[in-house]
Amino acid sequence: MTADAFLFWFLAIVTLGSGLSVILLSNPIYSALSLAMTMVGISALFVTLNAYFIAGVQLIVYAGAVMVLFVMVIMLFDLKSDTVAFAKGKFTGALKVASVGLLAGLVVAAIDLSKGLIGVKDGENHLVALGDMEATKSLGRILFQKYVFGFEALGVLLLVIAVGAVSLARSKGGTHEH
Amino acid sequence: MNTDFINQIGLNHYLILAALLFTMGMAGVLLRRNVIVLLMSIELMLNSVNLTFVAFSKYLGLLDGHIIVFFVMTIAAAEAAVGLALAVTIFKRFREVNIRFFEHLKG
Amino acid sequence: MGHDIFEITVNGIKLVLIFLLMVQAVPMLVWLERRGSAFIQNRFGPNRVGPLGLLQLGADAIKFLTKENFVPTSAKKALFYAAPVFALIPGAVAFSAIPMATPVYIEAFEMFGQNWGPYRFLVQGYEIGVGIVFILGVSSLAAYTILMAGWGSGNKFSLMGALRASAQTISYELALGLSIVGVIMMFGTFNLTEMINAQQGPLTFKWMEYTVTANWLPNWGIFFQPLGALLFFTATFAESNRLPFDLAEGESELVAGFHTEYGGFKMNLFFIGEYAHMMIASGLMTVFFFGGYSIPYFSVADVQAWALSVTQSEMSASILSALLHFLSFNIKFGFFLWTFIWVRWTLPRFRYDQLMDLGWKTMLPWALANTIITAFIIYFATI
Repeated sequence: MTADAFLFWFLAIVTLGSGLSVILLSNPIYSALSLAMTMVGISALFVTLNAYFIAGVQLIVYAGAVMVLFVMVIMLFDLKSDTVAFAKGKFTGALKVASVGLLAGLVVAAIDLSKGLIGVKDGENHLVALGDMEATKSLGRILFQKYVFGFEALGVLLLVIAVGAVSLARSKGGTHEH
Repeated sequence: MNTDFINQIGLNHYLILAALLFTMGMAGVLLRRNVIVLLMSIELMLNSVNLTFVAFSKYLGLLDGHIIVFFVMTIAAAEAAVGLALAVTIFKRFREVNIRFFEHLKG
Repeated sequence: MGHDIFEITVNGIKLVLIFLLMVQAVPMLVWLERRGSAFIQNRFGPNRVGPLGLLQLGADAIKFLTKENFVPTSAKKALFYAAPVFALIPGAVAFSAIPMATPVYIEAFEMFGQNWGPYRFLVQGYEIGVGIVFILGVSSLAAYTILMAGWGSGNKFSLMGALRASAQTISYELALGLSIVGVIMMFGTFNLTEMINAQQGPLTFKWMEYTVTANWLPNWGIFFQPLGALLFFTATFAESNRLPFDLAEGESELVAGFHTEYGGFKMNLFFIGEYAHMMIASGLMTVFFFGGYSIPYFSVADVQAWALSVTQSEMSASILSALLHFLSFNIKFGFFLWTFIWVRWTLPRFRYDQLMDLGWKTMLPWALANTIITAFIIYFATI
């Protein structure tokens, strides 16, 4: 087995294992910690895909800020662990599992069918040819030229979100009567 | 077992891994009742989508996928902020963060 | 890692050595901190065990190792044990990415009947293209160890300390990240070694078509980014939970914060983690604003040429220049570590709302202003 293949399989097992434990563990704290582990694994997968800057941003934004926020909120609530991880709702669990399985099958089949359709350019990959800094520089160029509208729109969205989150957090609590 | 599948890591490997992660996230959203775990499952789904974008970006030799990942990350952070603020509001009211308290939306 | 067995082995040993270097510096810093605090507060400090109290470190180590292993009954065992171990990882991983001296060349030689090609070993754990982003990302993971310790202890004081600490870390990470954007824009790279190379020679400043050179000053980042340096250094105090921002373990309110329930060696691991953060901060401060390992008034090439003229052999010249640069790095590094201690015993602790005010209402706007001003100056200077 080559080093690249070993790295991929190792990271795949880590991310899948920790991803599974996110939904299987009944204590939300452990779920959150395993999700953080998943984020770190995905960040390492980005490194195997030559996306160094994205990997760093993934660590800073997801693992370092978003997940810490989750863990903090759970700790603030001091939640007892759920008695069962999967409580019953209107639909039975079997139906949901079946629908999830169906989706998984569809996605995998779609990938399998599309094998020949995507023109994979392994030989002339200009991302590999570019250095780290060059890749990051051209990333910045694309972001501020081609996608500048999206960038500005996201700025406005963040402002709205910040206002919304603050007003939600300051409200008296509850959206309706008992 | 085909050893080629183990040794030759390509686009399909990353896509299948991302699909599995996405499925896990979806299962979490459908099956769990705890609001915070629901939000975490959504994060898991968004992450798997990021993985496909970066994988496509590498194998197609285009940088645009990375930009979309930036956008997804921003949206995910915003979604987490609002989602957690909602969860805090619900918790303040009911001392419980179960999805069944989101049933009626009247003010 | 390398191309053959020799290179891989040397690089592996190097990683272990850097880790040991980091861990070994902690007892010395503890001694310095205790003696320094005594000096600042006009008292004696540890001065009984051995000369100047130096053997106090050994006594402390024995005490830490032989202390009873205690776990509170309300603790979550797995998290309680995992937290101190995880406290070491981010610090060690991030510290290995800081370059400490010029690379060492090993000429081709023959061993075990084989030819081993010429090698070039970096005096750092590994060189990463996106150095700063990597270091910031890895050290932001340190918040988890505090949260794990606080939650795992099953103690309300620990939990309060952990919550405070994580809120503080998230808040100051913004100011920390923004304060070095100016530096990144100025050098145009994320790579730490390239930053050091850009800071050699006398202070040179380009404005429009004029070039101003000040021969009496080195070309250090601090002269271009004074505000950035101040903000960065302040934010690192908050990131490493040191006074005046050590709200996470405010003794007067929270017993000892997140490590209330920890004792002995587990406590010691948290200590090493905290000092590792101090060391990363000092190392980054040196690299960004004070020329890294380069010696002021002498460029790296000058020193290498001089070493070559003294030793007459490329290999020993590279070793000599690496040693000299390592010494230069350590002098700057040690100065910032001392500053950490100095500030700790001089300033009082902030109140929590003051801490948040400082982070969000003072440092963040100033960091943003610094970024914008730097962008404008770079734009007009390179027109």
